[in-house]
Amino acid sequence: MADNFEPKIVGLLCTWCAYAGADLAGTSRIKYPPNVRSIRVMCSGRVDPQFVLDAFAHGADGVLVSG
Amino acid sequence: MPEKFKFAFMPSASCGGCEIAVVDIDEVILKVAELADIVYWPTALDFKDKDLEAIPDGGITVGFFNGAVRNDHDVHHAKQMRRKSQVLVSFGACAQMGGIPSLGNFWTTEELAHRMYDTVPSVVNPDGTRPQLKYDAPEGELTLPRAMDRAYALDQVVDVDYYLPGCPPQVKWIVAAVEAVAKGELPPKGTVIAGTKAVCDECPRERSEEKQVTEFKRIHLVENDPEKCLLEQGIMCCGPATRDGCEAACVVAGQACRGCFGPTDNVNDMGAKLASAIASIVIADTQAEADKILDKLDDPAGYFYRFGLARSMLGVQRGERKDGDE
Repeated sequence: MADNFEPKIVGLLCTWCAYAGADLAGTSRIKYPPNVRSIRVMCSGRVDPQFVLDAFAHGADGVLVSG
Repeated sequence: MPEKFKFAFMPSASCGGCEIAVVDIDEVILKVAELADIVYWPTALDFKDKDLEAIPDGGITVGFFNGAVRNDHDVHHAKQMRRKSQVLVSFGACAQMGGIPSLGNFWTTEELAHRMYDTVPSVVNPDGTRPQLKYDAPEGELTLPRAMDRAYALDQVVDVDYYLPGCPPQVKWIVAAVEAVAKGELPPKGTVIAGTKAVCDECPRERSEEKQVTEFKRIHLVENDPEKCLLEQGIMCCGPATRDGCEAACVVAGQACRGCFGPTDNVNDMGAKLASAIASIVIADTQAEADKILDKLDDPAGYFYRFGLARSMLGVQRGERKDGDE
């Protein structure tokens, strides 16, 4: 089973850079694994430590803050 | 004359301060006595377990429960109080969020026992003797309650109607709660009977627009300026994430806010919120500089969760929380 582990990763992405990058990946038809669940935030400065804890508490294996 | 209300006060894993707070309402206690019969209050009067047992289910109008739930006896009391009370009020910081007893949740119960009975410098216990849950005394079998895996807040064990926060709860909010009961004007279930903003909103100290901290200091090692915001002076203060209603009593008296009223409505993890608050005021250009400043902040986990570790997300196993929770 350990080989089939698929982590659930919550991506908190800044709308102006990381999220735009993810968007561009989409429009350019570049594939990326579906493990990342992206959440758009207006700025990575908006990310509160509570979001990170909440994501883990809800079952995320990793949290990616990008921006 | 209509039938009197029936009040009960149940202590649990607590220091007794909450019950002192009840007595602290001074002459208002006479009004309470006029309004209600106290049917159970073992701290102040000679009540025994069997007296509580004898009260029929729903026989208590308002039950006040103070203290965390730490052992199986506390669980029994919590369930009993829930069954017998029409309205159950979580009284004080420990019942609301686990309080000081829940700081022990940073360790397992076994680790705590090891510390307590083996490694405390004043303990001499070469045989590793531990308290036994059962002992056959000549007079009969004696038993002790079993400590659970961790301390719990009251609402993690039974359904709670209202919360009176604080360590201990403030007289004016106790009076407000009793008056609400007397008038039959109870707020919606789950209400925390206190302010709705942060302690900073009530704090009389002067704040500048831009908080900038380059060094943390411990409050007893410096003389603080009584006019200025403590955080701006580099003294850790929990005001930004703590519910108001205490009129910033500690800060007015020259002590930093310790967060006993618990988080405001918009905060679901007090430590995380305080970490966020600290992060936004520390002025550092490099990681090394930031580390140096934060190293001076003693025991942040203990400080940020002083009254609320049982209720914090740190105690939650991964994936335990379901959608719709908080």
